[in-house]
Amino acid sequence: MTASQHDHSAQGITRWRFVLVLMVMVALLLLILVRLISLHTVDQPFLFEEGEKRIVRAQVQPARRGMITDRFGKPLAVSTAVTDISLNPQVFDLDQVASLAKVLGISANRLTQQITAARQRGRGFFYVDRQVQPAQADQVVALGLEGLQFESRFRRYYPAAEVTAHVVGIVDIDGNGQEGLELAYNDYLTGTGGRRTVIRDRYGRVVKQLAVESVAQPGHDLRLTIDLRLQYLAYRELMAAVRQHHAASGSAVLLDAHNGEVLAMVNQPSYNPNNRAGLKPAYMRNRALADVLEPGSTMKPFTVAAALDSGRYTPSTLVDTSPGYLRVKNKTIRDHRDYGVLDVTGVITKSSNVGVTLISADLGAETVFKIMSAAGLGQATGLGFPGESVGILPYPEQMDDLRLATVSYGYGMAVSPLQLAQSYTSFTQHGCRLNATLLLDSESRPDCQRVMSDKVARQVLDILETVTSDLGTGRRARVAGYRVGGKTGTAHKVGENGYEDATYNAVFAGIAPLTDPDLVLVVAIDEPQGREYYGGEVAAPVFSRIMEQALRLRQIAPDDSTAASLIVAGGPK
Amino acid sequence: MNLAVVLVWLVVVVSALVQIGVSHGHRQLVQQWQTLEKHSDALQQEQTQLVLELAALTSYSRIDQRARRELNMIEPQQVRILSQ
Repeated sequence: MTASQHDHSAQGITRWRFVLVLMVMVALLLLILVRLISLHTVDQPFLFEEGEKRIVRAQVQPARRGMITDRFGKPLAVSTAVTDISLNPQVFDLDQVASLAKVLGISANRLTQQITAARQRGRGFFYVDRQVQPAQADQVVALGLEGLQFESRFRRYYPAAEVTAHVVGIVDIDGNGQEGLELAYNDYLTGTGGRRTVIRDRYGRVVKQLAVESVAQPGHDLRLTIDLRLQYLAYRELMAAVRQHHAASGSAVLLDAHNGEVLAMVNQPSYNPNNRAGLKPAYMRNRALADVLEPGSTMKPFTVAAALDSGRYTPSTLVDTSPGYLRVKNKTIRDHRDYGVLDVTGVITKSSNVGVTLISADLGAETVFKIMSAAGLGQATGLGFPGESVGILPYPEQMDDLRLATVSYGYGMAVSPLQLAQSYTSFTQHGCRLNATLLLDSESRPDCQRVMSDKVARQVLDILETVTSDLGTGRRARVAGYRVGGKTGTAHKVGENGYEDATYNAVFAGIAPLTDPDLVLVVAIDEPQGREYYGGEVAAPVFSRIMEQALRLRQIAPDDSTAASLIVAGGPK
Repeated sequence: MNLAVVLVWLVVVVSALVQIGVSHGHRQLVQQWQTLEKHSDALQQEQTQLVLELAALTSYSRIDQRARRELNMIEPQQVRILSQ
C-alpha cells in the first residue's frame, strides 16, 4: 500500500490530482458561499415576502347583521350563515364536475360548459353557487376538490314573510338594506366585519396572531312596536276583504291609543321577501305610509271638533241641511238625501256634506286649518321611513270658499292611512295627538300635540259612537260587547279627467273601546269593484273583524253596559 | 470572573429554554382559542337556525291553519252575552 502510494507520487501524478480535487472542492464551497450570501442579501426581501405569503394569512369574519323582532321578541328578520362557493376553472378537474354538480343539485352539463367557457376567456374565478346552506357546503368541502373556494356570508331570512314585508323591508344580495326599515336603519343594523393577520403552520393551524385590524362587531338588534299576532290577523282580514271586493289594493294601520305605538301595519298586495324572483316594485311599496288618499268623510270629526272647540257650537246645536244640496261658487255639494234639520251630532251620524260645509263656512279657513294641521295632517310623521308621504293640506291662504268646503269633508287634501290613524289619537288622548312610533326602545318620546280640549275630545268620541248606531253609516263596524266609535269615508278617485265616477277609496277610521280607548284602527280599501263601494260597506266590516279579534287578543274587558259584563263563546244553538 | 461567566451562561440557557416553553404554550393557547371560536360560531349558527325553525313552526298562519284543519276549531260564532 505505502509502496504503491510512493510509486504514484514518484510518478508525479498524485500531486496535481490532489490539487485539482482540492480546488474543485474549494470552488464548490465558494459557489455555495456565494449562493448563500446572495440568498441572504440580494434575494432576501423577495424570499421573505414569499415565505410570509405562505404562512401569514388574513382572517376575515363577516359582520352579522342585527335581528329585527316584534315587540315580544318574535323574529321578523334573521341573518344566518351561508356559503358562497366559487371555482378556479384553470385548476379545477373537469372529471370532478359530476360529483360537484350532484352535491349542489345543479346541472352537470351546464357546469361543464361554464368551466370550458371560462377557461377559454382565461378567467380564474366564478361563482358555482351562492348562499348555500351550511350542511350542503360541508358536503362539498368533504369532496376535497381542488380549485374550489368557500366564502362564509350571511343571508337574511324573514320568518313572517309577506305579513311583515312592507314594514321590515328587504336587503339586497350583499346584505345592504334596500327597502323599509332594513334601509332606514341600515347603519344601525349593519355590524363591522373583523379582520386580523395570523400565522399558520404547515397543517393550517393558527399559531400566532400578528395584528388585529378590526374587531368583529355584530350589528344592533331592532325591536319594533309591531305585535306579530295582531299583524297577522290584520293581514289575514285585509287580504280576505281585498279579494272579496276585487280591490286594487288595501292598507290597515292599528295604533295603541295610549302611546301611539304601531301595533300592526299591513298592505295588500304584498310580496315574499325570501324569494327575490319576480319582485315587483308596485308590490313592495308600503302603501300605509307611501300612498296618499283623499280621506273623505273621515275628516268631518275634525271640522266638528273645531266647531265645538270654538265654543259656538255644542253637540246639540241645530244645523239646517235642507234641501240636501248647497251651491258653493259653481259647484254643488250634495248629501245622499235631504236630512232636514240635524244637530251637530247628527251631521256626523248621517255624514252630511252640507252640514259640515255650513259649519266650516261659519268657522273660517284659519280655524279648520289649525285643527287639521295640529292633528298632524300634511306633515311628516317622524318615523323616518323611506318613501314616506307627507300628504297635502292646503294653507288657509290657498283655501277659497269651495276649497274650504271640500276640505271640511276631506276632499282636496291627501293623507296617508298612517297619518289618518295618528290624527285619530287626538280623540283618545284627551285632545292631545300622539306621534306614531315603530321602534319600541324610543325612550325620548316627544310630548303630544294639543289639538282640542279634553271636553271636546270626549264629546267627539260620543258623536263617533252614534256612527255605529242603527242610525249611522258605520253600523257594520260594530263589535259585540264593546262600545265602538268611528267614521266612514268614501272618496272618488282622481283620474285623468278629474274625479272619476266609478272608482272609489273606501275608508274607515275608528276607536275602541270608547270607555277607555285602547286601539285606533284605520282600514283603507282602494278601488273596490262591485256593487259595494262605500266605506261603511267595504271598510267597516274589515274594521269590525280586525278590532274584535284584536280586543280579544289584548284581553280588553267588554265595556258595553247595555249588554254586559261577560261574553261566552258558543251559546245555545 | 469565571463564576460570573458561568452564571451569565446559565442565565442565557435557562431564559432560552423558558422562551421556547412560553412560545409553545402560546401557540397551544392560540390554537385552543381558535377551536373555541369556531365552536362558538357553530353554536351561534345553530342558534339562529333554531330561532328560524321555531319561528316557522310557531308562525301564526301555520297554527291558524292546523287549528282549523286538524283540530276543527272555529272562531266563536254564537256569542252569548250574559248580563250581570
